Amino acid sequence: MIQLESVSKRYGSKTIIHDISFTVAKGEIVGFLGPNGAGKTTTMRVIAGATTPTSGRVTVAGFDMATQNEQAARRLGYLPENPPLYDVLDVTTYLRFVAKVKGVPGSAMRAELDRVVYACRLEAVVTREIYKLSKGYRQRVGLAQALLGNPDVLLLDEPTAGLDPGQIQETREVIRAFGEHGAVLLSTHILPEVTLICKRVAIINGGRLLAIDSPVGLQQASERTNSVILEAGAEAEPLRQELLAVQGVTGVSVTALPGDLVRAECQVEAGSGVEARIARVIATRWSLHRLERQQPTLENVFLRYVTQSTRADRREAA
Amino acid sequence: MNGTLAIYRKELIQYFRSPIAYFVLAVFLLGTGYFFLYNIFSTGIGTMDETFRNMGILLITLTPLITMRLFCGEYTGRTMELLMTLPLRPWEIVLGKYLGAVTIFLLMTAATGINLVPLYLFGNPETKTILSGYIGFVLMGMACLAVGQFFSSLTHNQIVAALITIPVLLGFWFIGHLQAYQNTPAMRELFGYLSFSLHFSDFIRGLLRSEAAAFYLVVVAIALTLNTSYLQWRR
Repeated sequence: MIQLESVSKRYGSKTIIHDISFTVAKGEIVGFLGPNGAGKTTTMRVIAGATTPTSGRVTVAGFDMATQNEQAARRLGYLPENPPLYDVLDVTTYLRFVAKVKGVPGSAMRAELDRVVYACRLEAVVTREIYKLSKGYRQRVGLAQALLGNPDVLLLDEPTAGLDPGQIQETREVIRAFGEHGAVLLSTHILPEVTLICKRVAIINGGRLLAIDSPVGLQQASERTNSVILEAGAEAEPLRQELLAVQGVTGVSVTALPGDLVRAECQVEAGSGVEARIARVIATRWSLHRLERQQPTLENVFLRYVTQSTRADRREAA
Repeated sequence: MNGTLAIYRKELIQYFRSPIAYFVLAVFLLGTGYFFLYNIFSTGIGTMDETFRNMGILLITLTPLITMRLFCGEYTGRTMELLMTLPLRPWEIVLGKYLGAVTIFLLMTAATGINLVPLYLFGNPETKTILSGYIGFVLMGMACLAVGQFFSSLTHNQIVAALITIPVLLGFWFIGHLQAYQNTPAMRELFGYLSFSLHFSDFIRGLLRSEAAAFYLVVVAIALTLNTSYLQWRR
């Protein structure tokens, strides 16, 4: 539904996004992660047709954005970072304007407006002027606008920013429901959101796409944070030697705890049954107080990718 | 065309929900009424000639108030992002906005018709001349609005847009006065041809010249084309 082929965007000599390629399929919600200034918004704007890429090709719902912009625009709902609202209009007038431009026929207008108003819980404010609305409502009017005309593709730039926890929950439900039949690209700062509703995650930094995979896949691929933590009643050095001898353990760091305990953090290879082997080894000589596998959180994965790429950029610059 | 119509309606709603439309209308009517009375009483002749000329200058100073928000408002309200990603072609946006501005201007112009009531009650004006004056006024206004709309698309700042529009329009208005200082006939002709006021004078005198009408329409076409190309380029 969304397809990017080596898309780059430069302003003068400044490269905002560099050679980005990925696809979002029908029935898929892809999370778009990256620190501020990573190029998320520019990528979204390029896909939406708000700006044209310097090179590369974007297709939306099978239509080339460069040559069939209008057909693509009819199948696309876009919520920019700042909801694009006309403050002096009331909510209904605003939504009717967008629906008209999107080609919703007059006979279907009432039903279509009711549909998005219900989906985004806007019933209470439909007659109110937009400048009077709270930030949460403004955000949701923006989302309602994107949903109008039954698009195939939704581009959402931080759709839950400025919402309270209840509203975030409701908005996620709207996105999840849409994602069952449409394609969604969702940029966000909130990592749990990604694990909750996204099938795949794209991580971007410095204008480059660093990784794209399912949240679980990304976690498994991240060895550094794959570790086993244990506490045992033992002396530090013999324990370290013993652990290093265990098959699957690649590194150990030991710290002494109060009360004759030591805490060891073992770097282990992903996916092996290494915890059981460690437990056996320790149980023969010492008392084992705690043993736990540390699953890498998406947060760690994200930080690892981003800090690595930032370091690489600095090296390049130097 | 559907898009043009939707933009047009949105523009009208926005005009009438902001105080500017009422302010412009009020100032324009007060000014026109004042000039009308002043001209009648100072000359004692029941014509609109001088009043039309004054209305022309008044229009030039008020045009930016109508046009400055057309695109600047979309930029600062971040709604340009919406317009550029909706299934709209740039010319549909330009035309919808322009027609909205022209509609406001036509309403303003129609309201000045109130001055004609005493003119017809107590005088014996030439209907043909007045009609031709109004046609000229509307054509010139359309040209001013197109120029103002183009400048509004160039900047995010409404004040800047207004501050560019006024001198440019005044230049077009007064350029005819520079005719006398030109040495070559070609330059005299050029300055005369570019003058908003000289073409308007023909209409005021009751001369419906197609070249004069064509001149204003060409200005409209050039300004709106530039406006459209600029939006395309900006993307």
